[in-house]
Amino acid sequence: MKKYALFLGCMIPQRLPSAELATRKIFNSLELEIAEMAGYTCCPDPILARLMDRKVALSMSARNLSIAEKQGLDIVVLCNGCFETLWEANKEMKHEETSKEINELLAKIGRKYNGTINVRHIVEVLHGDVGIEAIKKQVKKPLGLKLAVHYGCHLFREENGGDIWRKPKQFEELISATGAEVVHSDIDQLCCGFPTSQVDEEFSLKHNLLPKLERYQQMGVDGVVVVCPACNVQFESGQLALRRYGAKFSIPCLHLVELLALAFGVPAKELSLEFHRSPVSQLAARIG
Amino acid sequence: MGEAEIVELLQKNIPDGLFSVGTPRTRKVLAEIAPGAIRKATETLLGKGARFIIIAAVDEGLDVNLLYHFDLEGKIVVLKVKLGKENPEIGTIADLTPAAEWAEREAAELCRVRFKNHPKPGHLVVSDKLPEGTFPLSKPFKPKLPDKIVPVAEAIITVGATAPISSLVERRRAEAGLPPRPPASYSSEPQLKEVHELIQQTNFSKRAGYDWERKKLRGVKK
Repeated sequence: MKKYALFLGCMIPQRLPSAELATRKIFNSLELEIAEMAGYTCCPDPILARLMDRKVALSMSARNLSIAEKQGLDIVVLCNGCFETLWEANKEMKHEETSKEINELLAKIGRKYNGTINVRHIVEVLHGDVGIEAIKKQVKKPLGLKLAVHYGCHLFREENGGDIWRKPKQFEELISATGAEVVHSDIDQLCCGFPTSQVDEEFSLKHNLLPKLERYQQMGVDGVVVVCPACNVQFESGQLALRRYGAKFSIPCLHLVELLALAFGVPAKELSLEFHRSPVSQLAARIG
Repeated sequence: MGEAEIVELLQKNIPDGLFSVGTPRTRKVLAEIAPGAIRKATETLLGKGARFIIIAAVDEGLDVNLLYHFDLEGKIVVLKVKLGKENPEIGTIADLTPAAEWAEREAAELCRVRFKNHPKPGHLVVSDKLPEGTFPLSKPFKPKLPDKIVPVAEAIITVGATAPISSLVERRRAEAGLPPRPPASYSSEPQLKEVHELIQQTNFSKRAGYDWERKKLRGVKK
């Protein structure tokens, strides 16, 4: 049974515990084992926290990596932002000088990071380690849904020279494996606006979120799938905030792991979908 | 009296309130001292025949630095005192050296410093037309970090997360069959202590002006 250290980050436990529940359910179905990362901190947040101080950001990331390394496990991440931060920190910690500088700090709290583990996005683990065929075998309720895909900016982070579409394509294939139809718009790659909302909420709503929602409505999608809790929050809270400007939308937004759990036949009530602020429970009710 | 002797003099007479002392260049001695040590340090220097020159008040945003300048046998001795702007108050030395009376009034009027027991407080250098409560050289008391980063930085230093989990969410997590709190650093006292130690080691909390007692960034409006 393959085992991973599960990095939950800040947002999933607070805003989207249904994705945490779904992850535990689908890992169980797929015979993947989860190890908890006791004492983990914020990754830290790739938009604001990493700007505040390089050394504190990198040492916090390295401390998180050391928690998984101590267990001899790769990290699996459910959030695009946490993925980017930890993945980039892992790369930086491969440089001798950086490793020495940060490990000197870690040594003062009795920790060390040797750079021996990998940071894996949930999409990579499900697509690469489990495989599409194994996923399909678990699908008990093929989803006859028409779904938009929102990749999220940080999903495109890749090794230099690597294929930036590798993970986004894997993401789409995983949605398709549930029996759902993935539909595309011309602005699938446009940011949801979560980062810009930290600086100018109105701009992020009108110039990022609104055009996406308008496209989805025109295409008649049943919902939008994400692999990032920050994007999820932006899609859900953003739809509510847009009412202030006279724009009314009611498009369900859910995380890939929740979609898979529903397709695997996990009853909606076991996923506590009421944590969502968009009509995900209603979407789940349609699946039955 | 040479620079080394002045250093020794200060070390001997203000052992508790002396944070650092050195000679940044010839004919100059710089000592950083606690606010409570200013009178003892002044008495020490005056006792050796020093002459008070001036107080330069420099507002750094979160703190005001008072630079007390003395001349001791041709050497400039600077006593640097940092006052937190939460309570920018220090005892007067005007009773020890009358020349400090105007210097203190100037610092009080320009930088909002309060000199306790000043013999003759009051208006000195700024225009009478200036509205009350205006301190021309006082900078805004606000965090050193950009506004948008402040809440995130404060949360990360305090709990190791961008947002602490609320009691409502704890309850809802438990109802959903999850542990009320995830295994994050904020769920464990020893783990959170370790994170605080790490942040202190990076010196970030000091540079950002984090108050460990109040668990707040200094200068954040309530």
